[in-house]
This record gives sequence, structure tokens and C-alpha cells, in this order.
Amino acid sequence: MSSDILLRLGLALGIIGLGLFAYWCVNQRLLLRAQNNVLSLFSKLPNKPVIVYFTTPDCVPCKTIQRPALNKLSGLMGDKLEVVEINATERPDLAKQWGVMSVPTTFLLDARGDARYVNNGVARVEKLMEQLRTL
Amino acid sequence: MTSQTLQKVDHSILKTNQLFIIALSVLAFILNLPILAAFVALVMGIGSALKTPGFGIIYKSILKPRGWMKPDVLDDNPEPHRFSQIVGFVFLTAGSTALFLGSAVLGWTLVWIVIALASLNAFGGFCVGCMVYYWLARLNVPGFGKQPPAGIFPGMKPKAGARA
Repeated sequence: MSSDILLRLGLALGIIGLGLFAYWCVNQRLLLRAQNNVLSLFSKLPNKPVIVYFTTPDCVPCKTIQRPALNKLSGLMGDKLEVVEINATERPDLAKQWGVMSVPTTFLLDARGDARYVNNGVARVEKLMEQLRTL
Repeated sequence: MTSQTLQKVDHSILKTNQLFIIALSVLAFILNLPILAAFVALVMGIGSALKTPGFGIIYKSILKPRGWMKPDVLDDNPEPHRFSQIVGFVFLTAGSTALFLGSAVLGWTLVWIVIALASLNAFGGFCVGCMVYYWLARLNVPGFGKQPPAGIFPGMKPKAGARA
């Protein structure tokens, strides 16, 4: 009985793992897409990490969580970080180019302009800090 | 695309429903309890009949009043989400029936399809049932009259501020 449950638990974890792998593949594709469109934002790379933040005026979690988190991060990092905010309602072309499916979405680019992380949905300051640390 | 009136749809209640469907269905699989899968199907069926997310009552009576989940109200069409729940109900009912008839592989496969689609909706913001609804609407199938909000890919969760 218990071995049957363990086997089923293992199967469930395997299936969930496959789902997570598929999600990872989708994120990699988004990063590749972002990578190919970095030059649509910058004529010259700023030579420091950049957070590209897609939002809309009526997005509540953007106002209550994402924007304050980015403000805090900017305060902590000063001129070592650049935050580029894009209103997806005003720039649907950019949102489409970058493959943005929902807001908020944040992309982290390293100093060389390589897209390294994408966060679909709210990314808290601790998570963004952790990601920036690895750039 | 014709102009239409969107309604206020709280996506938190939809998400609660999806999370309960996922959790209970996975539990049913792990513990090999077809009766639990049938219970989930029953709740979805009752929800479909009442035109509300089956497990939405947990959000309304516990999660929202205590502030554990905040409303995420967006301009959207409720009909595709109802259709999506009906599709889930049909799959889970078929899955439970297959399990009770002794066809474990078919039964659990159907249950896992529901889990996968509910997960895609809850974590990826993409509602496959809604996409099917909008396809049927495009084909002018009677009863499927709504168009996706402007600028939104059929089935994707609308961005805040979506227009009719």
C-alpha cells in the first residue's frame, strides 16, 4: 500500500517536473526573444545591469508591489542599475516583440546586454537582488 | 472585431478554483482515490450549473475576507471561463467513470489532462478552454458569441485596462 503511494508520488513529481521543464523552455525562448530585441530599446548599451519593466497604467500589482520594489532596488544600487519602464498599452509593439504575455513582466539584462532572467508576474525585491547578484 | 461590453471578472476566484482542482486531483492520484476525483468533478459540475467557479466559495468565505488572497478584478468575459469549467467537468467525470470501471490508465490520463490545463491557467495565465470558446465563436457556433478583449490573444489572461 505505502509502496504504491510512493510510486504514485514519484510519478506525480515526475509529471510536475516535466511541466516545470516545459515552463523553463518557454522562459528560455522569451529570453532569446528579448536578446534579439535589446537594440530596439538602446542605441548604445549602458554598460551596467538593466531591468526592463513592462507595465500598464491600470495594473494594480504593478503599482502596489512591483514599482515599490524597483524603487527600493534603484535606491539600493544607485547608478549601478538602470530601470527601463515600458507602458505596454502605449507600446504594444515592444510588448509583442519581447513576447510579454502579462504584466508586470521584468527582464534582467547584464552589463553586456545579454538577457539573463525573465520574471512573469510580480518579482519581489529579494528575488531581483538575488538575480542581480549573479549577473 | 465587433464592439462588446466586458464585465468585471475577479481572476482571484478563478485562480482559487484552479488551485483546488489541481491540489485535490493530484492528491486523488497519489492516494489512488477515484472518489476524490469524482468529488472534484461534482463540485465543478455544481459550479457550472450555478455559473460560478466550483471552489469559489472557499475564496468568498475564507480567503478573501481574511485577506489571504486579494481580488484581481479585470475587464473580461465570464462566459469562456464558465465553458472552460464545463470542459474540465466533462474530462474529470469521464476520468472518474473510467476509474470506477477499472480503466486506470485512461482514467488517470484524463485527470492529469485537467491538472495540466488548470496549471497552465493558474501559473501561466493561459486558459485553453477559453481559447476553444473563442475559436467556436469565430466559427459562429450558436451559444458562443463573445470575442476576446481587444489586443489579447484568445485565452490569455487580459492585461489590466483591456478594452472591449
